[in-house]
Amino acid sequence: MSEENSEMKHAEQAPEALVQTKRSFSIIWVVPIIALLIGGWLTFKAMSEKGPEITITFKTAEGLVAGKTKVKYKDVDVGSVTDIVLNVEEDNVLLTVEMATEAKSYLRDKTEFWVVRAQIAAGQVSGLGTLLSGAYIGINPSIEGEKTKHFKGLEKPPLITESMPGRHFILQSKELGSLDRGAPMYYRGIKVGQVVDYSFDHERDGVDIKFFIEAPFHKKVHENTRFWNASGVDFKMDATGVKLDTQSLVSIILGGVAFDLPAFMEPGAEAEEDRAFDLFKDRASIEEKTYTIKQHYMLYFNENIRGLSPGAPVELKGLRIGEVVDVNLEINTETHAVRIPVLIMVEPERVDVLVTGEGVMTDKEEIQDEIEGESITKRKYDLSKQLEKGMRAQLKTGNLLTGQLYVDVDFYPDAPPAKLEFSGEYPILPTLPRPFDQITESVARILKNVETIPFGKIGKDLQVAVETLTETLAEIKTMSGNINKETVPKLNAALDSLEETMDGIDKTLGPDSALNYNARHVTRELAMAIRSIRSLLEYLERDPQALILGKEGEKK
Amino acid sequence: MNVTRTSALQFGLVSCDACHLLSRKPKAPVHGIAHCPRCGEELHQRKPNSLMRTWALVLAAMIFYIPANVLPMTITSALGTVQADTIMSGVIYFMQHGSWEIALVIFTASVFVPFLKFVILIYLLLSIHFKSIKRPKDRTRLYRFTEAIGRWSMLDIYVVTILVALVKLGFLADIEAGPAALYFALVVVTTMIAAESFDPRLIWDVVEEKHE
Repeated sequence: MSEENSEMKHAEQAPEALVQTKRSFSIIWVVPIIALLIGGWLTFKAMSEKGPEITITFKTAEGLVAGKTKVKYKDVDVGSVTDIVLNVEEDNVLLTVEMATEAKSYLRDKTEFWVVRAQIAAGQVSGLGTLLSGAYIGINPSIEGEKTKHFKGLEKPPLITESMPGRHFILQSKELGSLDRGAPMYYRGIKVGQVVDYSFDHERDGVDIKFFIEAPFHKKVHENTRFWNASGVDFKMDATGVKLDTQSLVSIILGGVAFDLPAFMEPGAEAEEDRAFDLFKDRASIEEKTYTIKQHYMLYFNENIRGLSPGAPVELKGLRIGEVVDVNLEINTETHAVRIPVLIMVEPERVDVLVTGEGVMTDKEEIQDEIEGESITKRKYDLSKQLEKGMRAQLKTGNLLTGQLYVDVDFYPDAPPAKLEFSGEYPILPTLPRPFDQITESVARILKNVETIPFGKIGKDLQVAVETLTETLAEIKTMSGNINKETVPKLNAALDSLEETMDGIDKTLGPDSALNYNARHVTRELAMAIRSIRSLLEYLERDPQALILGKEGEKK
Repeated sequence: MNVTRTSALQFGLVSCDACHLLSRKPKAPVHGIAHCPRCGEELHQRKPNSLMRTWALVLAAMIFYIPANVLPMTITSALGTVQADTIMSGVIYFMQHGSWEIALVIFTASVFVPFLKFVILIYLLLSIHFKSIKRPKDRTRLYRFTEAIGRWSMLDIYVVTILVALVKLGFLADIEAGPAALYFALVVVTTMIAAESFDPRLIWDVVEEKHE
């Protein structure tokens, strides 16, 4: 027992086991863990959704509010303006915009931003919603181009967005005319697009007009499609008369461009994006063939060329072969001689060339080949043969009412031969005076000749002549008086004696003898001669001046 | 402070949390759970795991407090303009527009009070951890204050819900609750539970311990 007790005591002496309350993991910690998870997820989401930050510069921040203004594409928010700062250096405003993640691929340098405000322009009202909601920033996203985060905002909203199906083209024009952004493009009277933008081309010294043709009409634009200005009213008066051309009322106000295929042309391939076209001035001019080869000739006129203006036609046998390019005036200060150089442009392709010898009309391709050859252009310029044949230019009245002139080129075989000369780089085509001028010139020439006649001297000479004549006549009179007095009685006596002689002959030779006959004949002849002399003398007695001036009947 | 205080704990008694009936604590360690003989509620000497639970919930509430303030509380669209407001931006909006009273109410109920609750609860928890015996009465008062004001933080949630329900004018004006509303509600609920799970008697236990 004692052992047991002692054992018990020993047991009691043993140190007591430490009982520790079990620190079990409390379920409550799930709550902050969940909170952490949610917080973490939110942070991650916020971080991943936080799109790229970009900057856009605008001239003005009118209507834009930091933290409020959105960037919208197709009316969906793709970003919001977080900050607006004034950029003093460049005198504009710098917008910091936080874009949505999905808009990340749009951040290329071709992407455009602009401020959408309510506006009434180009015949349409847009952005009325912004009157109530305030302006927002529009975006025309592009997935082409370099990646960038700094953009320059457009001051004017682009009219066409990248997403619109269609095609852009460029019109090259000398001047903008009444075309503006938004000006309509017509195809057979249907509005199929509009002018998007225009810029000045310094190199060409003209205007590049960018326009957009909506699908499916962009397929109607071919390589050979011609565009003409359908703006406003076209009033033209030239050698061909008065022309008035208008398009639709809208285009009169807004301007516009129409396009179509010229009747004589094949459409060609479908035009590519950004293909450049020439802008024709009116519908009629698109139907005119265009010629690539242009030759210039210089004409010198001395006459009044009032009524001849650049653009006046140059015609050959009544067919247009070119036009007047420039009209100038040259005065020689020493001689005060005035001449008018008129530069004309001739399109040789307008003339079908018959090759001499073969007599075959060359087809277009052949001409094209010839044109490309260098030697041929020289040959085309070699006028000497034509000049030999009498090729001359002449001004003619095209329109009697308006007095418009045109240049007529024709062959005048009678014209004096001319040699080919050059004025600078231009060959000179000799000219003939105008037909009307020709008449006046002839008259003038006659008058000039008349003027040179010395009427005074003629009169004096005439007086002397008349005096001499009077003297002569007096002499003649006295002479004829002598004839009457002396010659006539003597003649009578001679006749008497002749009669006596005849009698004697008659007596001696017999009436039928040959001698008699001959004598009779001679005597008859003689009598006739004497009769003639008598009549002459009688005549002279009446008109003594006939001796000088001839018989009156013969005078013309 | 020399009044001798007796607590149920000293006499081996347990107070029922529900009906406050005092019952004897079984002497021998019992495996199982003690129940109130009157109402059947589980009996605990002190709230089980009180400190840990409170800590956990306060931490959770603090985590929720961040999205509640960062994310938008309301999404207002008026005449096409959509505007998302966080609690603070709403306060600033009212301040700037002269309604500083409303700004003050919102700020107090939605920002200040939850924050105050965190501070108080953490202070109480830390004071117990470091067995502080300073001003136990004031600390108990603080606890009661926390419990009392907790529900008022729901004010913001009520305002938002009422606004969302009332302002449905289509294009003219529309208000939607933002994601912050949910987190804010979670903040309020977790802080309320945290305050609930804190056992103020622990304050006094420490004091008693030190007195002995």
